[in-house]
Amino acid sequence: MNTVQEDKLWQTVLGDIEISLSRANYLTWFKNTHLIDRVGDHIVIGVPNVFIKQQLERKYNQLILDTIQKNGVSIDSIDFKIQSVSRAEIDEKAELQVESIATQHVPQMLSSERPKNASSLAHTYRQGINERYTFDNFVVGSGNELAYAACQAVANEVGTKYNPLFLYGGVGIGKTHLIQAVGNAVVSRNPQARVVYISSEQFVQEFVDALRFKKNTDFADYYRSADVLIVDDVQFFAGKEKIQEEFFHTFNALHQANHQIIISSDKPPREIPTLEERLRSRFVWGMSIDMQNPDFETRCAIIQNKAAVKQINLPSDVVDFLSTQFQTNIRELEGALNQLLAFCEMRGLEPNLAIVTGLLGGRAARPKHLSAHQIIERCAKYYQIELDDILGAKRDKDIVVPRQVAMYLLRSELHLSFPKIAHELGRKDHTTAIHSVDKIEKEFNLNPTIRAAVNEIKEHLYA
Amino acid sequence: MKLKVTQENLAKALNYVSRVASSRGTLPVLANVLLSVEENRLRLAATNLDIAISCYVGAQVQKPGSLTVPARLFQDLIASLPSGVIELEQNDMRLKVQTNHYKSVINGVSAEEFPVMPTIENGIRWQIETTALKEGLQQVILAASNDESRPVLTGVLFHTIDGSLYAASTDSYRLAERRLMKTDKTIRLLIPATALHDTLRIIADHNGETEVVCDEQQVLFRAGEVELVARLIDGNYPDYRKLIPQSFETSANLTKADFTNITKVASLFARESAGSVVLSADAASESVWIRAVASQVGENDASATATVVGGGEVTLNSRYLLDALQVMDGKNVQIRFNGKVEPVLLSDPDQEDYLHLIMPLKS
Repeated sequence: MNTVQEDKLWQTVLGDIEISLSRANYLTWFKNTHLIDRVGDHIVIGVPNVFIKQQLERKYNQLILDTIQKNGVSIDSIDFKIQSVSRAEIDEKAELQVESIATQHVPQMLSSERPKNASSLAHTYRQGINERYTFDNFVVGSGNELAYAACQAVANEVGTKYNPLFLYGGVGIGKTHLIQAVGNAVVSRNPQARVVYISSEQFVQEFVDALRFKKNTDFADYYRSADVLIVDDVQFFAGKEKIQEEFFHTFNALHQANHQIIISSDKPPREIPTLEERLRSRFVWGMSIDMQNPDFETRCAIIQNKAAVKQINLPSDVVDFLSTQFQTNIRELEGALNQLLAFCEMRGLEPNLAIVTGLLGGRAARPKHLSAHQIIERCAKYYQIELDDILGAKRDKDIVVPRQVAMYLLRSELHLSFPKIAHELGRKDHTTAIHSVDKIEKEFNLNPTIRAAVNEIKEHLYA
Repeated sequence: MKLKVTQENLAKALNYVSRVASSRGTLPVLANVLLSVEENRLRLAATNLDIAISCYVGAQVQKPGSLTVPARLFQDLIASLPSGVIELEQNDMRLKVQTNHYKSVINGVSAEEFPVMPTIENGIRWQIETTALKEGLQQVILAASNDESRPVLTGVLFHTIDGSLYAASTDSYRLAERRLMKTDKTIRLLIPATALHDTLRIIADHNGETEVVCDEQQVLFRAGEVELVARLIDGNYPDYRKLIPQSFETSANLTKADFTNITKVASLFARESAGSVVLSADAASESVWIRAVASQVGENDASATATVVGGGEVTLNSRYLLDALQVMDGKNVQIRFNGKVEPVLLSDPDQEDYLHLIMPLKS
């Protein structure tokens, strides 16, 4: 067959032809050609299809002959042969297809008797799942134990226990970790399971592509044939009506067939604006769980866990410091830990409190630009009341609560003294401030509305 | 090139060919239609390198020549002109289009740039009644897959068994086979369904016979003045015939109208469950039932009188059922099946040319 030298000859010829033809012509007619054989002054060129064959035979024969001769090889005649995929490969594929049709009695639905060659298919269904996220390396604390238990239950009884499972909670508290862990657990138990993990943004993108290339049915079939569909950050569906409709149908098809649906969001369904009512009601149908910020002990456990993975022993005061500094977002916590460990490794030091304070003190400190006025303004804005009202003397309930929240935030975020807090809000008596902060602190643990409000205002403040 | 041609003929010919011209490919000239004078007639041609269509138009030729012009513009222009005689005159790379009141000049591209139109030498040549081809294609083309990852299934297989030519297609969920005609030739062609959609278009108004020429790599359909050449799909088609069950536990005969109606009604309630309906046949009550349950909407139960042998039930996709019923001719339908997991066979009890197989859904 062809030697390296002959291959090179054809490449040279192609290079030459590429220059003498327009790019479009070259790409269309010559791109996928190759030299098959050369016997004396006769060569055989492989081409992908009959249209190209005839074109080369009738139009470019002379050009090819001339170009070859120009390169110092004398050739009398050229044959073109259609050769795309090698024959053997095609035959093998055909065999597989016969088998898959013959064994697929119930081809549309998923069954345990899926044909053997479906493993490659199952693989494409597993995209998006990151094997790093497992139940084993998830740290369970008081804020997330319910979610953890529910996820484990779902992984054990796919599709029947809690369907759909809806997890919500703030940024960086482990929603993605948990739902991915379900996916991994399901896959490890049944490697054939079709587990689809997708962010809502990706879902939107694929849907738009499907519309563009008119592959709507492919799109629908793909998602509707999943055993477990995991959709992350579903709040991004807000305001996208067509997507919501598509998702609604996907949801129904899966739910109907008892296939598991797992959804995460940063807000509970009822607080996602412009979410269609029928989706909203479906989201809360199975089980919806509020994931809380991890408490101090959980944060310590997370840090120790992470450090243990990296085989580093952290002194307990360092762990305490980190978990005090980073109260809500585990990602930040992990980032800080990484920064600390990298710093220590570089300098060959043992992590200690002095280092960590020096390194992260600045980063963890609350941004300086935050002023009391900003907090009050933000509270007023959140509750949609006038700034004058919150600072004024009115004692209507819809003004008192925002005022109390503002006081609480002034205390917790800026550590202002009670008299100062009272002063900022135009009160004379600091006992009002003491009472308010106390009240909200208690409510924070009991009343989800207050908790949501405080968290959201905080998020805006530090955004 | 200089010639006179009637607007009607030219518009019709452009209708046939310009559909395949597209500007999406790498080669800009593929968005053009080729005009050339051959044997004192005007020939229009376009290709997308998968399919090539050409059409001959009677014309009064004064000067031969050839040129390509943008298909879209040319077609729209000719369609907008009043009926009557149009004069086409080539002036270097420009085409002048003139009638009594309209005068346009279109910038063209040299015919040299246009790919050679494929031809078939030494192929097998046969004729088929156009109406039979039309009917047959409509009946099988719907079962072809459009999943490019299994190219073989995107085609329709034409093959001969025991002196008859059959057309068949399957997307692995359903399968359709139609006996087209008797022949003494041996034919085996795997033609892309997309090319056959275009073939259906060019034979739509044709009566008489369609000529087919084929070799290893391509096939040509010629209906009157129009010719379509398509490239064949390379690969082995699965032996679909062994999927057709030979005996059945349950068999029911009923009128097509009844069957279509009850399926249609049930399908309204099956939207939520991706079309899934349960069909049951019962010999004692001599009827076929179709049931659909939609938890959100409600449920539906409809029956039709039928001659039933055996009895049982099976879950099917109502869309596939309706598709099949729509293309079946004849007054009656026979539906036969074996339990819940084996393929369901639909056929016409009065003649055996057409078979339609549907895989059940898991219930």
